[in-house]
Amino acid sequence: MRKHFILLSIPFLLLALRADAVSSEKGLMVKNVRFFSYAAFTRIVFELDAAAPYVVMKSDNGRSVTLSAYNGPLSAMVSMPVVHDGVVKALELHQEGSRATIVVQLDAAAGEVKDFVLRGPDRIVFDVMKGVVAAPVAQTERRKLIMLDPGHGGGKDAGIVTAQGQEKAVTLELAEAIKRHLLKKNAELVVTLTRERDQALSLDDRAGAANAAGAVLFVSLHAASGAGTRVYIVDPDEGSLAPAPVAHKTFLDFDAGNEQQERIWGSQQASHTKASGELGRRLALQLGMTGGEPVQAPLAGLKAVDAAAVVVEVGMGQDRSWVAEMVAEGIASYAREDR
Amino acid sequence: MPERIDRRIPGDRLLTVVAVVLAAGLCVGGFFFWWRMRAVAPAINATQQPSAAGQLLNEPLVITLSVPVDGLLVAVPAPVTRQPDTQSLAREALAALFADPSGSQAPVLKDLRLRGFYLDAVGTGYIDLAPVEQREVRASVSEELIALYAMVNTLSQNFEEIKQVRFLVDGREVQTLAGHIDLSRKFTKRMDLVKQ
Repeated sequence: MRKHFILLSIPFLLLALRADAVSSEKGLMVKNVRFFSYAAFTRIVFELDAAAPYVVMKSDNGRSVTLSAYNGPLSAMVSMPVVHDGVVKALELHQEGSRATIVVQLDAAAGEVKDFVLRGPDRIVFDVMKGVVAAPVAQTERRKLIMLDPGHGGGKDAGIVTAQGQEKAVTLELAEAIKRHLLKKNAELVVTLTRERDQALSLDDRAGAANAAGAVLFVSLHAASGAGTRVYIVDPDEGSLAPAPVAHKTFLDFDAGNEQQERIWGSQQASHTKASGELGRRLALQLGMTGGEPVQAPLAGLKAVDAAAVVVEVGMGQDRSWVAEMVAEGIASYAREDR
Repeated sequence: MPERIDRRIPGDRLLTVVAVVLAAGLCVGGFFFWWRMRAVAPAINATQQPSAAGQLLNEPLVITLSVPVDGLLVAVPAPVTRQPDTQSLAREALAALFADPSGSQAPVLKDLRLRGFYLDAVGTGYIDLAPVEQREVRASVSEELIALYAMVNTLSQNFEEIKQVRFLVDGREVQTLAGHIDLSRKFTKRMDLVKQ
């Protein structure tokens, strides 16, 4: 009986060994690369087709970190994103014969680099901590940076479409007008747009751009049919402040305990509730909203913004040059105050 | 001569009497019930009329829908078919919202259909939506906000078992419906969006 069992088990054992061998020979397939700039560190997320062992090499001078597959080739199906936030200088895909590697070039403010794995979907995460050297973005602290975010954009996301035009075009035009008004009277401000052309950007990309630039104020512009203008702020969600789960070890014995850090993304706005409320009230009064109070809403585009943040929704049928002037005045009066 | 005293256990006869009366009562009651059933049954078969209890069960239940009208929510009474449990009844309520003349024409709601509704043990209701004919949902911030709270308020105001609501699209969690409102969180009713 025992003999039969052993004989029967052999094909299954061979299959299991073969499957394991195939898995490790498959190497690493990187489907997407994302990055997020936080106050204390920059996170680079490599989204994988399937989890597999990997190798991290630090250069002798400590200015770069290389990611490669432990066994088999590394292939990246996407181009590397442009990163330059004072901590990470660049992400590069290097091809040496049949062997590819991803090199993370570190900038002056980079400190320790930590890596870990997250499952479901499988990801390799690099956290580049900020070191003792100040990041280049610190120079904008003297000149307050205002980030204007023209909503929607790109071929697939035109926003609402009315006889007055497409929302993506209206918001871009409005953002440019607000920027002009702001710079005309406020030389101490730096005004940047999340997009300056018809371009598709995710909500995280927009929040990430504002956080990376060190914006003190974020105004996302949207449009609606009709003539009214509304100002929105994020309403506090009790769930987003819930404590993170206890760290656990999974997958190839790597410590996946940094889930707690991942949970930070998306809850940055919680610490700016008061400032956003104040900015929202100022803009609501400036725009003549009934009651002078901004509307609270669970806004997906603001929850990851690490600054005072509002959404202004302008009526398509409204005088947009007047709206641009009023929004610019509201922003300027808020930014002028010493915070 | 020894005295023999037969002692009756007190209440012994009373117990017997009670048992006999109860048995008789049951017999009479049973006979009466049988007689009534016998008398009623042919009438139902003959006329196909439902009983009073059946009539009550078939009567629609009137609930209050929160319907989007001019950027706010308006309470509208609507009849729905009675269901055996809260989950099925809540699904009926949502179906009534999507079928309502104002609801079916409201931005966001007109581009979606109800795929399902589930209620878990802790009172979280899951509204599963699907786009109508793969149509893209286009709406302003206010339209998206009002459409979502039309569903949330309709459920929360009619069913106290539903404490909070989550949204799914095609059975999955999504970031937003039209690019503005965060669907990763739980929603509870909001009365400030209701027209006073």
